[in-house]
Amino acid sequence: MSITDLPLFSMLRTRMQWHQERQRVLAQNVANSDTRDFKPRDLAPLQFEPAGSGTAAMTLRRPEGIRTAYAAGSMSGLQPGQSRSFETRPSGVAVNLEDEMLKVAANQMDYQAASSLYTKSLGLIKIAIGKR
Amino acid sequence: MDFLKSIAIAASGLRAQSGRMRIISENIANADSTAQTAGGEPYRRKMATFTSEMDRALDAQVVGLGRVKTDPSEFRVKHEPGHPSADANGNVKYPNVNSLVEMTDLREAQRSYEANINVIGASRRMIQRTIEILKS
Repeated sequence: MSITDLPLFSMLRTRMQWHQERQRVLAQNVANSDTRDFKPRDLAPLQFEPAGSGTAAMTLRRPEGIRTAYAAGSMSGLQPGQSRSFETRPSGVAVNLEDEMLKVAANQMDYQAASSLYTKSLGLIKIAIGKR
Repeated sequence: MDFLKSIAIAASGLRAQSGRMRIISENIANADSTAQTAGGEPYRRKMATFTSEMDRALDAQVVGLGRVKTDPSEFRVKHEPGHPSADANGNVKYPNVNSLVEMTDLREAQRSYEANINVIGASRRMIQRTIEILKS
């Protein structure tokens, strides 16, 4: 088990992948804003299975708990390099440029939040290792 | 890297919008181009159309400049008997270009261009944040 397989990290990584994917969908909407008959799309909100995050965090002291959490939680079963596919769905009849720009800005801020959290968590692990 | 895909999609938008601007500037430049021969047809206004095409490599709908269409509306007719392009009745046909419409169109193209630039900027900042994780 590598450090990046910890539930916290894999959740943040899924989150960041979701934002990455959403950025692609939003870029598509903005680029096609003047195309006739183009329907804007957006990603479905990211949801984690409540069983995955909660129990994995609580059962850190029991090795078997961790193992089952990893096997059961599809969230934490994410392999590095393998991107999860997210559901895309229509989000209106015509592209509203202002709305799309707001979404792009929000997406960027959320991504920055997630990457900051990732950095902080890495720092936390480094403190635990004692190399800081 | 998926962010580079976002940038490539936005770049296709930039290309399409600049192509649209090229056609608009063509219209404005030719707003008074009359026919070469007497009684002939002057410059006809062109219109840009956009098509969204599936890019397999990017797995996304990128935008491209479609077929350039001509505006079928009526020409402006002025009575100028001394004009070299005037027909037998002394009427001259001027292009069906309305500079007000063209300027509005130009602004619209400009705004869409800026929107695509903003998407590129946002994606770039997100890439930067990813690299900053390595620096910590």
